[in-house]
Amino acid sequence: MTLVRKLYDWVEVRLGISQVIEKEMTGYLLPRTINNWYSLGSVLLFAFSLQVVSGILLLIYYVPDADKAFKSVSVIMNDIPFGWLIRLCHAVGSNLMVATLFLHMFSVLFMGSYKKPRELQWVSGFTLLNLVMGISLTGYLLPWSQLSFWATTVATNSVGAIPVVGEYLVEFVRGGKLVGPPTLGRFFAVHVAVLPLVIAGLIGAHLFFLKRTGISAPPTSNDLPGPTCQGSVYHYEKHQGGIPFFPNFFLHDMTSISIYFACLLGVVFFSPYLFFTPDSFVPANAFQTPAHIKPEWYFLANYQILKIFPSEIIGLTVQGAGMTFIALLPFVDRGDGRYPLKRPLFMVCALGGIALFIALSIWGHLS
Amino acid sequence: MEQDGRRVFIMTCIGGVAAVTAGAVAYPVISYLAPRQGKDNSAAVIIPEKDVPPDGAKFFQYHGKAAVVVRKKDGSVTALSAVCTHLGCIVQWEAQKGAFVCPCHGGQFSTEGKVLGGPPPKPLELLKVTVANGVITVG
Repeated sequence: MTLVRKLYDWVEVRLGISQVIEKEMTGYLLPRTINNWYSLGSVLLFAFSLQVVSGILLLIYYVPDADKAFKSVSVIMNDIPFGWLIRLCHAVGSNLMVATLFLHMFSVLFMGSYKKPRELQWVSGFTLLNLVMGISLTGYLLPWSQLSFWATTVATNSVGAIPVVGEYLVEFVRGGKLVGPPTLGRFFAVHVAVLPLVIAGLIGAHLFFLKRTGISAPPTSNDLPGPTCQGSVYHYEKHQGGIPFFPNFFLHDMTSISIYFACLLGVVFFSPYLFFTPDSFVPANAFQTPAHIKPEWYFLANYQILKIFPSEIIGLTVQGAGMTFIALLPFVDRGDGRYPLKRPLFMVCALGGIALFIALSIWGHLS
Repeated sequence: MEQDGRRVFIMTCIGGVAAVTAGAVAYPVISYLAPRQGKDNSAAVIIPEKDVPPDGAKFFQYHGKAAVVVRKKDGSVTALSAVCTHLGCIVQWEAQKGAFVCPCHGGQFSTEGKVLGGPPPKPLELLKVTVANGVITVG
């Protein structure tokens, strides 16, 4: 008997690992018609892990002090062996993670997987999207460049449009009247401690909901009309005769993760400054606002909405209403059908919404 | 039998790919975490003679470690490693005793680095020192 086998048996006697593997891996059945869109959740889990690991590595050399932050990032990029790789993986990774989150939500949207009994998955997923955008925004300030400084000034300024408490909120968020060293301290704490913990906890809840309801089967045109979940009693959606998670779907997951990783490294190696502007390479100067300061691509639509409306509060209200509608979608769209081509009204609204988001983003970029 | 051969072949391939991937990830990460080489610290350290008064000592960095130059009552100068040979604490100069005392476990050393008392097993390392034209050169 080999040493590995002995070790396995030792653990097996104590923890019953084979039972766990049977239940969660080889015996965990998924629908036969499952497709690669379902592996985006695993891609996101990988992307988040990569952000955590690269973020921890960056913490070793990054100095969260307004006088030293920019210099420390320059040292990471230029002096530390492979510092550029770690930092670019983190910066590019954050953008790709948001893009993958959008794709994941679109796939859930078009396959109608947000419907009963998976409302909690949708709400937790949508909250995760917003938290990831929040962690990206707070991380944006940390290099303490002109772009960081002024993008944060503009972003935090929007909060001031809230009636009565707006001005106080802006000051509270910034830790002062203007963006400055206290803002860096606050954003640093939120970026490296608060949001990662909240996101990790919510990912746990998201996966728990997934495990309890069972994975949804992709909708087909042959689906019988009627709800997939009936009655008021808890029901787990089994897929008898389906494919096992391991090794069948695990290979799908690994394929998608490899494609994601290839895209990430492709940008890092061949277009490393795709998500950087010239202002990213100039240290923050509180007395000189650069021309045409723009937020990250995923905030461009929000930025343009604020510019369209003459009153900032109306712009914020429109965005708030839109976000609330998306968050509560499973409670608004309560029809039974999930096959997208049999839901014309939904398709018009969903495609129209995505087209509007893209158009506003392009407009924001060009304006 | 043939199937076993295929299985071994595939597992070997997967293991090889995994090992190469692990190496490709580990190399940059270990290089990133490895201690940074400082600037050339093999050069001699120059200290103005006026910085070391009679019965006084001056601590400085020498080859990346703490060192000290001390002027004895007779005016002569010695340079020593300031790292206690017991557990690596930095010794302190006590002018009244005319000796170095380690604050960690009370080891005592003479101005020549010899152990006067306490647990240190070895004397402090003596460094090469020259004095000329009002300048003390260590190394």
